[in-house]
Amino acid sequence: MLAELGHFSLVLALFLAILLSVYPLWGAQHGQVQLMRAARPLAVGMFLFTAFAYLCLTQGFLDHDFSLAYVAHNSNSQLPWYYRITAVWGGHEGSFLLWVLIFSLWTVAVALFSRSIPLEILSRVLAILGLVGVGFYLYILLASNPFERLLPFYPVDGRDLNPLLQDFGMIIHPPMLYMGYVGFSVVFAFAIAALIAGRLDSTWARWSRPWTLAAWVFLTLGIALGSWWAYNELGWGGWWFWDPVENASFMPWLVGTALLHSLAVTEKRKVFKSWTVLLAIAAFSLSLLGTFLVRSGILVSVHSFASDPTRGLFILGLLVLVIGGSLLLYALRAPQLRSTGRYELLSRETMLIGNNILLSAATLVVLMGTLLPLVHKELGLGSISIGAPFFDQMFIYLVIPFVLLLAMGPISRWKHQPWPALRNQLLTAFSLSLACAALLHFGTDGASYMATLGILLSVWIVFSTVQEVRQRSDGKVARISQLTVSHWGMVMGHLGFAAMILGVAMVTSYSQERDVRMAAGETLNLNGYEFVFLGVEELQGPNYEGHVAKLDVLRKGKKISHLEAEKRFYPVQRSMMTEAAVDVGLTRDLYVALGEQLNNGDWALRIYVKPFVRWIWGGAILMALGGVLSICDKRYRMARLTQSDAPGTSPAGARA
Amino acid sequence: MKRIALFLLPLALFLFISLFLLQGLFSDPRERESSLLNRPVPAFSLPDVMDETRIYTPEVFEGEVTLLNVWGTWCVTCAIELPFLTELKEQGVRIVGLYYEQNLDPDFGGKSIGQIRADIRQKLDQLGNPYAFNIFDHSRDTSLDLGVTGAPETFLIDSQGRIRLHHVGDLNPRVWESRFAPLYQELTQ
Amino acid sequence: MKGWWLFVTLLLTAGPGLAEEIYAFETDAQRQIFKELTEELRCPKCQNQNIADSDALVAQDLKRKVHELMQQGYDKQQVIDYMKQRYGDFVYYQPPLSPATVWLWLGPLLFILLAAAVLVWRRRSAGNQLDPELLARADKWLEKDK
Repeated sequence: MLAELGHFSLVLALFLAILLSVYPLWGAQHGQVQLMRAARPLAVGMFLFTAFAYLCLTQGFLDHDFSLAYVAHNSNSQLPWYYRITAVWGGHEGSFLLWVLIFSLWTVAVALFSRSIPLEILSRVLAILGLVGVGFYLYILLASNPFERLLPFYPVDGRDLNPLLQDFGMIIHPPMLYMGYVGFSVVFAFAIAALIAGRLDSTWARWSRPWTLAAWVFLTLGIALGSWWAYNELGWGGWWFWDPVENASFMPWLVGTALLHSLAVTEKRKVFKSWTVLLAIAAFSLSLLGTFLVRSGILVSVHSFASDPTRGLFILGLLVLVIGGSLLLYALRAPQLRSTGRYELLSRETMLIGNNILLSAATLVVLMGTLLPLVHKELGLGSISIGAPFFDQMFIYLVIPFVLLLAMGPISRWKHQPWPALRNQLLTAFSLSLACAALLHFGTDGASYMATLGILLSVWIVFSTVQEVRQRSDGKVARISQLTVSHWGMVMGHLGFAAMILGVAMVTSYSQERDVRMAAGETLNLNGYEFVFLGVEELQGPNYEGHVAKLDVLRKGKKISHLEAEKRFYPVQRSMMTEAAVDVGLTRDLYVALGEQLNNGDWALRIYVKPFVRWIWGGAILMALGGVLSICDKRYRMARLTQSDAPGTSPAGARA
Repeated sequence: MKRIALFLLPLALFLFISLFLLQGLFSDPRERESSLLNRPVPAFSLPDVMDETRIYTPEVFEGEVTLLNVWGTWCVTCAIELPFLTELKEQGVRIVGLYYEQNLDPDFGGKSIGQIRADIRQKLDQLGNPYAFNIFDHSRDTSLDLGVTGAPETFLIDSQGRIRLHHVGDLNPRVWESRFAPLYQELTQ
Repeated sequence: MKGWWLFVTLLLTAGPGLAEEIYAFETDAQRQIFKELTEELRCPKCQNQNIADSDALVAQDLKRKVHELMQQGYDKQQVIDYMKQRYGDFVYYQPPLSPATVWLWLGPLLFILLAAAVLVWRRRSAGNQLDPELLARADKWLEKDK
């Protein structure tokens, strides 16, 4: 009964989405205030009905209602209650319901937190969101209904949640990721609304910025969580694999990062308008493309949901309508956009657009690397694989000019930057970083050039950031406190990026790993750590059984850690899972994964020493914090914005 | 107009990609062409799974069109295709087995050759025996040379001993009709 | 726990057994090449994994073969060629250079060049004060065009 209510509630949400996409837009075009006023309550209604539907499905999981096909496929009576709640998004249908729920949440957030935006604009934005929503709701109701019943014959017990997803990281990873993906729909709606209205002054850039930042923060955390989860759960110590599905989340992130920066320029300097609009469309389009790639089964990936061509066809149709339509609108309207600001070739504007170009080129690399195998095969040229060697190579090429521009941008002035001053600062920072990197390089035995390059780039960002803060505060400590919150956001974002580069460079160059067979009492010496294998014990969990290997880690004869690595067998799904044991450290992780038992009673173990791997996720967290700080800037909380908002002329106006 | 052309570029790019996405929806991403097509079966010298004194070489494929079926008793899908393969054999198709076993691995195996033979006998008695004989690829080196990724897989080999088709996955009536039958007719004529 | 500890110390002082590597190498350089190869060769059976990470039987076999070939003196490229001969280009994560794949490298490069050209060109044309009347006319014309 509850499921039917949930289903009905979703139909009502669709109905409200249709109304939302029609009336406010009509009202905005014809100046009818009553119709425009309908936007807010409609958005709230859409959210409430979706939330109710979502709760109904969750209750189905909590009640073990195996007459629901989706519950029967993704749950089991042995599954602990917390995983029953998260199992709602363990499969295709439920995860799309979560997607729609988050979508309606964003819509309602726009409706409630945008009091300062003129009603006409807000109505258009909400109507665009409604229009996109209609597509989503139709898709879930017609092609992936989570409330389908298995009547009259339903199973006694469910097939269990995919054990890969029975992990803490998986509890929060999908919601975060979806918050990011779907969050870009808000920016998209702002851009489309502005295109429709023909009002592309810089106000829309200001209104879009906090939403872009919010979506970007969620996406950053979502991707980082996914990476952290893969590291712990997949048992091979990798943190990024360039899998099509990872790439699908990385592309909107890259474009989103470009968008953040270009919005800053457009808002302040009223230039690059058409470019910024394109990025806003692209960020959401790539989110949708990612959804398509994951859910259509078109690409071979570890993460993809069960494939189904009808579903794929439906999303592709949606894609063509939403992306194709908006790009067409863009092609028609964007040429009218006029940039009013002037700038020299050597100016902060150019540096920022330069970084935008590099970020877009990186997106293109990922896009082509992800889709070319498909195209190659469809053209009858045979199967090829594109993976880490290609992407690593390309990103190394791209990151060098990127860091150069990152070092120059924040210390440059808007409009015109005199070269001699910039050159001096640049040389100082660069030679300092070069000295640091060289010192480390020649002070280390068997130093790797790649690692040194990473250190150089990372330290360079740090020095130039310090230079920038000094410059903004005129070298006076007292003035540092006067820097705005969003300025610190930028600083933190850039430092986070530096930390991430360092982590990536160190872990790829200096990771040590051994595949070994061990009997109890045997030891392995790796990088100065002594791993003592104490033996293996049986393990019994709520819905799994398995083995746990116990190890002590010694350094210079002193015990520093005890590790317990598990190998679990989930009988319902008949699958093996590795739970790696990790001793976390600022400068290195010690990582042990248990393999098979060998014939003579020995165990296969994988033992890794991973230097600075935490810095990768730490960097991501710093970047996300930077984003949060930027949202907190008081400019976005001003109750009323004047229509003709003055260009940022404050000395601390360095938001890049 | 020139300006519009530039702004139409993203749309064009997107539509171009969509075409391939559409096409991709209707093809199997796991399907791959073999790199050994039209090449002779790589050299090997392997015993019969039931009798280690009988040694086979690629010469066994000469003179007759043959299906080489990679299988093992441990493999669930292989058991599913056995009845259909037996049917094919009764229609006069020559089928040779390439026996692919992981349980003899010095590290992971727990089975002796005697046990494996008993398993094979039981399986074939129960589900039908389509095989003229079974080549025992004990170290799986020949499978590797053939580009085998697992079991079941089936090769169509012409009477000159050249590989003409490599199918990954189970051989069912649908696959036989669409992929194997036309080529098989052509080769046997 | 303490008991274990004593046991271990005893073992240590008695000269502990050292763990045996599954794939042993004489030099670190060789081990490094093996690591690179197993990370860059794709498991042909799996969804999307390299052979280092996969537990599939074929991945184990390929790993063993890589080790075997390296012991026979094959260098990195020779091992890759050996595998490609059997499993096609699919087995290696770096695509071969061909008229179709060259766009992987050219595409982004051309994009950067094009974008830089547009940037410079538009800035210059913006600098050449356009006739405002002309602009207005163009706008009107575009207005009609949509």
